[in-house]
Amino acid sequence: MPLDARPDEDDAALLARYARGDAGAARALTVRLAPRAHAQAFRMLGDRSEAEDVVQDAMLRLWRIAPEWRFGEAQVSTWLYRVVSNLCTDRLRKRRRSGVALDDVAEPEDPAPGAEARLQDHARHAALRAAIAALPERQRLALTLRHFDGASNPEIAEQLGISVEAVESLTARAKRALAAALKGRVAALGYEG
Amino acid sequence: MTVAPEKPDPDGIDQMLDELAALPVPDPSGDLVARVLVDAEAHLPAPGGRVVAAPWWQQIVRGIGGWGAVSGLVAATATGFVIGVGAVGDTGVDSFWTLGYDAAYDDTNLGLDAFGWALEEG
Repeated sequence: MPLDARPDEDDAALLARYARGDAGAARALTVRLAPRAHAQAFRMLGDRSEAEDVVQDAMLRLWRIAPEWRFGEAQVSTWLYRVVSNLCTDRLRKRRRSGVALDDVAEPEDPAPGAEARLQDHARHAALRAAIAALPERQRLALTLRHFDGASNPEIAEQLGISVEAVESLTARAKRALAAALKGRVAALGYEG
Repeated sequence: MTVAPEKPDPDGIDQMLDELAALPVPDPSGDLVARVLVDAEAHLPAPGGRVVAAPWWQQIVRGIGGWGAVSGLVAATATGFVIGVGAVGDTGVDSFWTLGYDAAYDDTNLGLDAFGWALEEG
């Protein structure tokens, strides 16, 4: 992916340029935002093709909302993170409703030692992803920002517009919910607890 | 033999999350960028399109300090209203009429026992 062509302009400024008809701003925003959105979607879905579809859908929503974007309010990156998270959640919930076995979901190619270990990895990751998708939105955002993006609690608080204490509460509740959702499956999924 | 606990403890959840986070993430394909840019081109606003400002009520909310300040203002207003209604309740609804000049300050019928005279004469 090419380097950011306009590193001195923030996301909002680029989006404003796009809203005024600057096609080059779209390229700069895509180069800047798409890789992170793709990584986020891939971690949530575990499927490269689906992750790319989610990124395309999320970016399409960004282009559509650009003329009505309220500059000075939400950060573009935070807005996109939220959209990607919700789109991934929708897909994970549809998988469950349509009866797609969690273990059938494609996994990335990795040098797993054996077929059995790979299957167990698939089951473990799919179960965890489904449990994350079942979380309320704010808990899910706080948890994934913390664990998948490595954001600190103050950084999460700033992005979500809440206090650090609220972030701590959200992540703690999210982990309790995950523990409850995975109750009884720990040993089966290969965790020693 | 070690028996796995029925319910994962917080450390167990952290371990699971860390494992998922550590999975290698493939680079997005070049095709993805092309698809996104085709969409961007299709929805590109006309040159010179205006940037939308925040609506007037949001500007007011921000101007007085955000939603926290608004809620404080509403609470203070409601408290003042309740106190005011309570005061009226103590004196009776008829006290409203004392606000009118004719009823409250008409001294044409006052006798010498009126409060002012009594006060002057000791």
